[in-house]
Amino acid sequence: MSTEPALLSLTEVAQAIAQKRISSREATKSCLDRIAQWQPRLNAFMAIEADEALAAADAADAALAKGSARGALHGVPLAHKDMYYDAGKVVTCGSKIRRDFVATSTATALQRLKDAGTVRLGSLQMVEFAYGPTGHNAHHGAVHNPWGLDHITGGSSSGSGSAVAARLTFAALGSDTGGSIRMPAHFCGVTGLKTTWGRISRAGAMPLSQSLDTVGPLARTAEDCALLLGLMAGSDPLDLTASPEPVPHYMAAAQQPIKGLKIGVPTAFYIDDLDPEVARILDETLAVLRREGAEIVQVELPDQRQLTAAAQLVVAVEAAAFHKRWLIERPQDYGQQVLMRLQNGLAIPGVSYLEALRWRGPALAAYLAAVANVDAVIAPVAPVAAPTLAESDVGNSPDAEAVIQRLTRFTRPINYLGVPALAIPSGFTKRGLPVGMQLIGRSFDEAMLLRIGAAFQRATDFHTLVPKPA
Amino acid sequence: MADVAGVPVTAEVATRVANSIGPAFEGFAAIAGTLPFDLEPASFVVVQTAKDSKKVSK
Repeated sequence: MSTEPALLSLTEVAQAIAQKRISSREATKSCLDRIAQWQPRLNAFMAIEADEALAAADAADAALAKGSARGALHGVPLAHKDMYYDAGKVVTCGSKIRRDFVATSTATALQRLKDAGTVRLGSLQMVEFAYGPTGHNAHHGAVHNPWGLDHITGGSSSGSGSAVAARLTFAALGSDTGGSIRMPAHFCGVTGLKTTWGRISRAGAMPLSQSLDTVGPLARTAEDCALLLGLMAGSDPLDLTASPEPVPHYMAAAQQPIKGLKIGVPTAFYIDDLDPEVARILDETLAVLRREGAEIVQVELPDQRQLTAAAQLVVAVEAAAFHKRWLIERPQDYGQQVLMRLQNGLAIPGVSYLEALRWRGPALAAYLAAVANVDAVIAPVAPVAAPTLAESDVGNSPDAEAVIQRLTRFTRPINYLGVPALAIPSGFTKRGLPVGMQLIGRSFDEAMLLRIGAAFQRATDFHTLVPKPA
Repeated sequence: MADVAGVPVTAEVATRVANSIGPAFEGFAAIAGTLPFDLEPASFVVVQTAKDSKKVSK
């Protein structure tokens, strides 16, 4: 076991605290020490609450000493994307408009983690209103990638990706509407789970597009994601779109071998126009999965470009509708790119929007039929490793939407289908930048993805590598 | 369209918007206008939760 508590995985630190091998204070202090070291370089945190965190850690230690553990994450310090309402706390949503917004309720996902005993370290940076894939933020500054400070983290869960990669928090909530968990996981070299639409309640989570928004974790391992998902998943009277589907034992699934499983590799789209290093790492990932006993087969998917287009129509309209009052009253308070993208939604006819929603059922049925003979599909998260902050700082320039679409090409179709996808660290470029692959599953079959991801991580060490301060 | 929505934009913004969302309309063109009469958006949840479409791990 590592001597620096912050370098443990979530699962390891939770066990270590429960078994009193380390205290919550030691774990929290270790994270705070790393935050102090890294925050000036990364800008990953929106708020750091050191005194409150240490006080909460002491309370957790005192409770444990009396034999009173709250749950599976008793005393574990965490920080989350600054869009999860936490009663009494400022929740900025990465914006200027909500710079002073104080939540009066707590998000269900966050409350379930609190009920399991977590300690709050503060809140994490994000793209303004979660509407952007790079990690730039016109109001709070860009978040930096710990593997290369002049490179993007990906967004919109930019602080979550950066902070988990640098071991500033053991895990973090993100949200994924068009790739916002998987891209930071890919660019920052961490594990990120985009859940099935409806698997985790969205109550108290800032909305972007209610038809596509999903809540999910970024963590160091698939096993950590399994632990978090098991705590958060399930129905919720505060969000009737949260599914009553049974919640499997995800941790048990993550322990199972993958011998005999069939994993599909798309014959087109997800393998087109890949950076050569991403293509190499995809091949190397397939080789590992074969060695672990999985059968790799080709799978022909329906036209994914149509899914991307439909997703664009849905998110543009729903985001514009959520923001319409502020578009009228406070347009000057948006960053240029976010304002531009919100304005896009105003120009889409209602009939087009509803057609895009009506097609979702048949599109999912066609996808499920195409993958009927495989247990999961594997594909790159993005065609490239992390670009530099400078080259992707496109603002509201004429080619901004094209740059955004290129980065999100492989993630948006999954959101439209509403199926789960697990991004796993799969290798590094020659320049030392991480590359991730996404395992794509059937609706509500996160267990299969976690099983494959955990098996891959037992056979590789990419998820254990820690960036060093420059 | 933006005027109708109550959020007027300049001609420059209107051009930029058209360029941004044009590809989405093009990409969806093969589907638009082809959907059956009685197809509801809620069919998505029906497909999502249909037991016969699953091979879910336990």
